[in-house]
Amino acid sequence: MGESSLASFVQKSSKSLSILAALLALTIGASTGSSFAASVLMWIAINILMAASFRFVQLIGELNFAIAGFVGIGAYVSGLVNVKLGWSFFLALVLSAGAAGVISFIFGYITLKAKGPYFLLISFAFTEALRMIYTKIDYIGGNSGMIGLFPPAFLTDYYAMFVVAVVIAGLVILHQLEKSDFGKVLIAIRNNDAIVQTVGINVHITKVWCVVISSLIAGLCGALMAHANNVISPGDFSFLLAVYVLAYIKVGGESHIAGAVVGATVLTLLAQVALGFGPFEHIFYGAAIVISVLLMPNGLIGLFQKRVSKHG
Amino acid sequence: MALFVQLLLNTLQISASYILFSLGLTLIFGVMKVINFAHGEFFGLCLLLISVLVPLLTANQLPLASAYALAAIVAMIATLILGAVLYQFAFKKFQRDMIGSFVMSVGLSLLLEGLFLQFFGGVPVKLPDLIPGNIRFLGGAITTQRLVLTGVSIVIAISMCWLIASTKLGKALRAVAEDYEAATLQGIPYRRIALYGFLLATFLAAIAGALLSPLTVISASVGSDYLMKGFIAIVIGGLGSIPGSIIGSVLIAVIESVGGYYFDPSWATLGMFVITMLVLLIRPKGIMGNG
Repeated sequence: MGESSLASFVQKSSKSLSILAALLALTIGASTGSSFAASVLMWIAINILMAASFRFVQLIGELNFAIAGFVGIGAYVSGLVNVKLGWSFFLALVLSAGAAGVISFIFGYITLKAKGPYFLLISFAFTEALRMIYTKIDYIGGNSGMIGLFPPAFLTDYYAMFVVAVVIAGLVILHQLEKSDFGKVLIAIRNNDAIVQTVGINVHITKVWCVVISSLIAGLCGALMAHANNVISPGDFSFLLAVYVLAYIKVGGESHIAGAVVGATVLTLLAQVALGFGPFEHIFYGAAIVISVLLMPNGLIGLFQKRVSKHG
Repeated sequence: MALFVQLLLNTLQISASYILFSLGLTLIFGVMKVINFAHGEFFGLCLLLISVLVPLLTANQLPLASAYALAAIVAMIATLILGAVLYQFAFKKFQRDMIGSFVMSVGLSLLLEGLFLQFFGGVPVKLPDLIPGNIRFLGGAITTQRLVLTGVSIVIAISMCWLIASTKLGKALRAVAEDYEAATLQGIPYRRIALYGFLLATFLAAIAGALLSPLTVISASVGSDYLMKGFIAIVIGGLGSIPGSIIGSVLIAVIESVGGYYFDPSWATLGMFVITMLVLLIRPKGIMGNG
């Protein structure tokens, strides 16, 4: 595929991204309230944002399995603030993103000294370690978690719409960051970090900021998710969550943020069909990853790109 | 003193199985540059097959010891076949692609675990003891079968180290792990060696499974529990390093038995994580990792 057709595809698909987002908002508008359709749309939206946040760390060439940990931190902090302390919902959102950001700075500062397999294994262990901590603290419910996380009364009917709005804002921010100079540095680090270092850019701290930005968004996802499901438990934030997010990205495609949108939408909808079959959920996500890695290494949007370049 | 001996015995028996498990992981990484997230599923399949076969065979009037032996052989062969199939259709295409192979093996692991849950059911099984009785030793106590199985594990681990250190296959494996292009230039058939390395690792996981079958509670997710500790062991020790994997395994076994005694198993796992962070802070490529 030529370089120019790729570029034009990217331009086209950022337009299609906004169309998709508008479509999603429209559907949600039609199904406000606590209907099942509204819940599914909320899950899709949150999964999309998680996938986009995971993909943001992929820009520096790392797989960040700690994303499930940061989603968990966001969910627990929002639960703590909203349920235990009784503070405002919006404050809970801000604090949960903030907490995930602060912890991710420390986490990233230490672990990003390692890279590749070391980083991904340690991020995987981080998620599992956090899950274990939640089960040990009785104040936040231990093994059974917390219940009664509700969005404020005036938002109850419009919560799905609110979630979609936040998700779209998050996607736009991530997309703009990727296109900015900062994003170009991130991709340069993935391609060759030694060269980036030689032109006087601090590679380590840039990578840390990349993880922090991704984790802020992940923390926000956690808070949104907690209030969408009304309950949280440690098991919701195991590494399995990160693996599902990986599946969204792999099925959708990594080359563009639209891949996160496509992958999360397709898999979340299909999983609704697969749900209720018990172990079938594992098989479903596992097979989704294996099939896309073996048969379509660039994901669904990769197939689309091929078609575009064939016809144009 | 009694407490010390007891903790030592516990550490010994835990580390023996971790060593077998992480040796396989580090071998695959060294030879193929593949982080095999599905390694735990080999271990799991072997255990699950034994858990089905042993009751079946004893119900057909076979003595317990022969039932275990027969079940272990069948289960290990089945595990090797699974390993060969996965190598042929999946891992072969992702050699030397760390991220790609990891992603694929994560998918495989999830897929296999789901299938295990489907076929073997979700009820955990505890098989009958192979050898009854306890042995007291300097004030510490250990069940006879744990002692025997730990002894066998240690013998296998040592002979595996000998195989890798001294035989022609072992030298070829190490040469490929060191620099596969140079090894290929020396006439070492990379593809065949990679297959042997992968099967050897599968075999190690299967042996670990067979040796643990009379001891642990077997469930479809048994592989994942060991997998995380195996990963921590090889990250601490240095990916691809054989002595590193042994050091790492012993270290986490010490933390698990001592920490588990004084605190709580979950806090011990947390302790492992903290230690891993500390090791990475000082040596980003693990204790024995180079470069």
